[in-house]
Amino acid sequence: MLKKDKIVQLKNPIGKTFRIVREQYLREDIPCHSKLCLSDCIEKSKQDYRLPNKDRASHYIIPDCLLAKNYMELLEMPEFRGIIFLQTVTYFIQHEGSMRLHKSLMSIVNNPFKESAIFYNEFQRYAFVERKKGESIIDWRRRSVYNATVWYYNHLAGQTSFVILSEDPKMKELYEGETPNIFVLTFKEYLKTFFSEWEGAFNLYESIKDALEERSETDEIAGYLPNEVLEAGIKSGRFVEGVLNVNRYCANSEAFLKRSGLSSKQGGEESDILIPGQANRNRAIHGDRIVVELYPKSQWKSRIFVLVKENETKDVEDNSSSNKMPTGKVVGILQRNWRDYVASFGTDQQVKVTGKAEKVIVRPWDWRIPKIRLSTKLVGAFKDHKIVVRIDSWEVDSQYPNGHFVRSLGKAGELETEIKTLLIENNLNVGPFSESILKEMPVNNEEEKWTMTPEEIKKRRDLRESHLIFSIDPIGCEDVDDTLSIRKIEDNKLELGVHIADVTHFVQPGSLTDVEARERSTSVYLADRRYDMLPSVLSGDLCSLLSGVDRYAVSVIWKMNENFEVEDVWYGRTVIRSKYKLFYEIAQKIADGLDNEEIMANVSEMAQYDKKDIELRIEELRWSIIKLMEIARHFKAKRTEEGAVVLEGSEVKVEMQEEKIKNVIPKKSLEIHETIAECMIFSNHWVAKKIFQSFPSHALLRHHPPPRQEHFDSLRKCAASRNFTIQTESNAELAASLDSCVDIDDPVVNKLMRILATQAMSNAAYFSTGSLNRELFNHYGLGLEYYTHFTSPIRRYADVVVHRCLMAAIDETGKDNLMNNADLQTSAEHMNSKHRAAQQAQKQSQELFQSLFFKEKSDDETCVVDAVVLQLRNNGFIVFIPRYAIKGAVFLKNKENLVVEVSNKGETQWVAGTLNLKENSVLVQTGSKRQEYTLLQHVTVRINVENYHGHALQLSLSLVSNKPFMPDVEDEKNSENSVVQSKSELIKAVKEANKSFWTDDISLGPNYTNWKEEFSQTEESKSDYHTYLALTELNKLDI
Amino acid sequence: MAAWELLKDQNFRLDGRKPTELRRIETRLGVFPNADGSAYLEQGNTKVLATVYGPHEVKGGRGRSNPDKAVINCQFSKSAFSSSERKTHMKFGRNSSETNQHLVQALNAAVMSHLYARCQIDVYVEIVQSDGSDFCACLNASTLALIDAGIALKDIVTCCSATIVDEKSVVDVNYVEESSGSAVLIVGLLPKDEQIAYMQMKGRLHADHLEKLLDCAVEGCRNINNILKERIGEHLKTHSSHFTLTRPATPGRAERSRPAIA
Repeated sequence: MLKKDKIVQLKNPIGKTFRIVREQYLREDIPCHSKLCLSDCIEKSKQDYRLPNKDRASHYIIPDCLLAKNYMELLEMPEFRGIIFLQTVTYFIQHEGSMRLHKSLMSIVNNPFKESAIFYNEFQRYAFVERKKGESIIDWRRRSVYNATVWYYNHLAGQTSFVILSEDPKMKELYEGETPNIFVLTFKEYLKTFFSEWEGAFNLYESIKDALEERSETDEIAGYLPNEVLEAGIKSGRFVEGVLNVNRYCANSEAFLKRSGLSSKQGGEESDILIPGQANRNRAIHGDRIVVELYPKSQWKSRIFVLVKENETKDVEDNSSSNKMPTGKVVGILQRNWRDYVASFGTDQQVKVTGKAEKVIVRPWDWRIPKIRLSTKLVGAFKDHKIVVRIDSWEVDSQYPNGHFVRSLGKAGELETEIKTLLIENNLNVGPFSESILKEMPVNNEEEKWTMTPEEIKKRRDLRESHLIFSIDPIGCEDVDDTLSIRKIEDNKLELGVHIADVTHFVQPGSLTDVEARERSTSVYLADRRYDMLPSVLSGDLCSLLSGVDRYAVSVIWKMNENFEVEDVWYGRTVIRSKYKLFYEIAQKIADGLDNEEIMANVSEMAQYDKKDIELRIEELRWSIIKLMEIARHFKAKRTEEGAVVLEGSEVKVEMQEEKIKNVIPKKSLEIHETIAECMIFSNHWVAKKIFQSFPSHALLRHHPPPRQEHFDSLRKCAASRNFTIQTESNAELAASLDSCVDIDDPVVNKLMRILATQAMSNAAYFSTGSLNRELFNHYGLGLEYYTHFTSPIRRYADVVVHRCLMAAIDETGKDNLMNNADLQTSAEHMNSKHRAAQQAQKQSQELFQSLFFKEKSDDETCVVDAVVLQLRNNGFIVFIPRYAIKGAVFLKNKENLVVEVSNKGETQWVAGTLNLKENSVLVQTGSKRQEYTLLQHVTVRINVENYHGHALQLSLSLVSNKPFMPDVEDEKNSENSVVQSKSELIKAVKEANKSFWTDDISLGPNYTNWKEEFSQTEESKSDYHTYLALTELNKLDI
Repeated sequence: MAAWELLKDQNFRLDGRKPTELRRIETRLGVFPNADGSAYLEQGNTKVLATVYGPHEVKGGRGRSNPDKAVINCQFSKSAFSSSERKTHMKFGRNSSETNQHLVQALNAAVMSHLYARCQIDVYVEIVQSDGSDFCACLNASTLALIDAGIALKDIVTCCSATIVDEKSVVDVNYVEESSGSAVLIVGLLPKDEQIAYMQMKGRLHADHLEKLLDCAVEGCRNINNILKERIGEHLKTHSSHFTLTRPATPGRAERSRPAIA
């Protein structure tokens, strides 16, 4: 090693200059990371091969400092492979670029698909250039980059060429042609040479270039306090840090600081801080990590308590409420969390096609994001499209942030465009699996059947003959993660077994499939489609525990006595053959005593047995299911003692297939649903205990922090209106109170109480055990001290991690591959955010279909429905519609201060009057009438659809009558069915309507088909014209 | 790049060393002809000068002398120009006297003090340039100076520092790594018998990491020992023709004949 000193002159903020001397040790064993290396760099340092060999890339790319900083987005695109980031460039980005850029760089390097690496040229003795006396740092960097490239070229003995990407003209001037096979190109030249067909890249390059020109040279931090002051302030408690959450409904006037960090997720004393108005927000955008300074208590304001319509852009002031909350203003931004945003051009944009960059304002799809100013030439081409934009900066003196255009998603209004919008807005990357991943997959098709190897079977416990194993899932389910077994063993004891698909056998840690699955973290279920986390050969076939075939599994087997107390537990890898793949309804019916004929008709696996056996088999199965239900009841009772809370979601699951509805899962669950859920909860609980015991500092568990007391206000108010009291101190008390809130006349009341309780809950989350205090481990909702996810590794990555942990716990295999605490915590946070994103996308896709449905069917029969008042406001109330499980606002007072009056005939009109908000009711007084609306009262509303340009369709509700709709409150059963049917009708209608919705509604007439045949265009394959076109193209190619 | 990222990703520290590599060590013995023994030591950019006077009669009265062993007196001082900002350090402040005591403790373990009963040995150490691991350089330099003074030692004391960066232990910390806030462990070792003469730690450390850190620091000490032994050997080879060593039978100055020509 050679020792050199790096001497840097720095100026501190006061203006005083001082010298910093740092040592630099130069060495010769820096790895080059290339597959083409001839001198064993890689062996010596045990680093993995990263840079591609000849058949993957014809050259390596070396970006220079400024280009890497400005055009990182382009480098991120998957088509660019074999990028070498020099140490010089990396340091430049770290010091002069933002944290975000640095993260992008690191993710490019760590992404195995990009085949890129960092090379430490400043440590490598022969690639290092010493800064000459008086040489400017820019010149030195330029020389460094070139010299490092030359070293690299020589090191690989000229096997491949190098392209230095630089926008600096001097770089080209000095070095172009100096060394053969080292080329200096600007990005545009590079694209023209290698990717001339790729319009998207050219577009992106141009828009970034335009955006760069727009950016003024003012400091990023103008208008904010300097970093040291912020840090000192946070430490001393003067400032608070957290994440900015903008209120969706009054995005211009209200935003909150949500405190970040694990400790604040619990029901702590720290509440959110209100940030009213645009000025106080100081150019922070939803999702940014911000630092807030609190105002003195005298200046605290209250939340906006009135109902606000979406398109009201003026600031809404409301000082009437007495619930003042801590108020503050943004004084600094710790980290920008800008992502890709979907936006559309305004309807009033004049399309000037001048060929120059135009400044336009686009409106993002998400209400919470402000409008963005783009400087782009492409307005004309994409005027009615939905486009993807990225934000670059928000200047101090500007009302809107600056951004640039990335790409177009397609015409606005088409179903596929809308779905793509949802996926992008929720940051879900669900494209098809790449070639390299599919290459890693095992093969199982007609020609090449997949079989188990005897060595593998020997390593596992064989349950194929000894156990009756079966699965119970929703009808039509292809990815069976979990199977169960129960049998009697000696001494009147029972053996319960849960067998889960063995995904970790097929997905090795570090493989490309593993990397992709970790990135996706979960399968995404939208209303009409599903995006899988693993390729279908695994999720639908080899990992799925289908009946009648041998499969690998991971099992947990408990030995219990007759009182269902666990005496012993066994964990391990097994081989199983599931006998029956049942669906919920049939399993319930079997338990209820369905006769053998019916069973044989519905359970296809029975057909393989001959007459004598079938009765025995059926009895065996029946006994198993009934025993399982008994066990589950017992488990549930125990959990309820410990304080489990039974909650109610307000969603209904719908299954779709092409144009037809496959099946509808009824809202009310059968007992068998609870049985399966209970068994899964039980196994998750035991696995959690096991992995925590073995790895107390890096096990992946799942916790549910207790809810914040203030979130219960709405529930309490509702309960109080009917004279119920809700105890919310502990989960047991909450559960008991909810059970007692029953109105015999109105069964909807209890359901609503549970819905309100569900809304008050915090989110459950994954965490690493080394990162959280023991007291915060428990799961409030389930009433368990330890919990994790183990039973669905096909659709959740957390379960894959837990499987690996469990295997390491039982037999020490792969112990070194387990993630350490810090990595696991990062991973857990990633899984949490992906899970939330998937849920959000699912909710939004259901809302999309709902809105389309109501737009199509705007007749009274579908749109006028019964609703229950849930919360009261100054100018109206919020209702819940049981038939469609929708929540919405009903205005009683509009902007002109007119109020709604319901006449005796059941018509409504807006007249002058007053509205008084009381404890449990809202009183509307007009000239002639006095109408009162209380909590939990039934009213009738009409569902309308509002179309705001560039945003998702919204439902709005208007009051029709203050009486219940069709006095059928007792008729709960009917409304149940109608819920079910209407949801299914909804999706069906939408799919049909989708075809006709987007085209004009012309009646085609009887002769249409004939005319079509005669006069319409011939198909491409039969058309002469297209053949001629193809020939001309061929000619042009000049082969 | 952030120090820990660099370490995790490529196994390099900010200055290009691997976690177990020491900085460059330069030594020179006998730099001061006036003193009985002197040494100049560089560990990376930390530069230290040590001088030894003694063994001689105890200054300050009979009361302070010890009838069985020698009294070792250390004086540690940091020059005002040693760090990047000029700062005068008090020679007799609390910090200095603490370091003095530590040096005394460490050297006491090495010096065969029963041979120098009722004598005093003074060791003066001055940090000329400070760039991390100051105390280690001081102790190493003192050892060399004692050897140059011809004082009998059981074994040389080598001293090395180590710290944990992202769960990996790194040896011989420089100023940047020291100021990153993690705990720094300093170990003074008597290499022949692998006995620890001195151990000091500043900061908070998870108990699980202590063993790792200790092993790392001890390994560093062994490596320094090899280097120092080599340097001492070289020094003796080049200078042995110039003087003869006479072992003092009674307390008094060690006699050495020095030629007029150096």
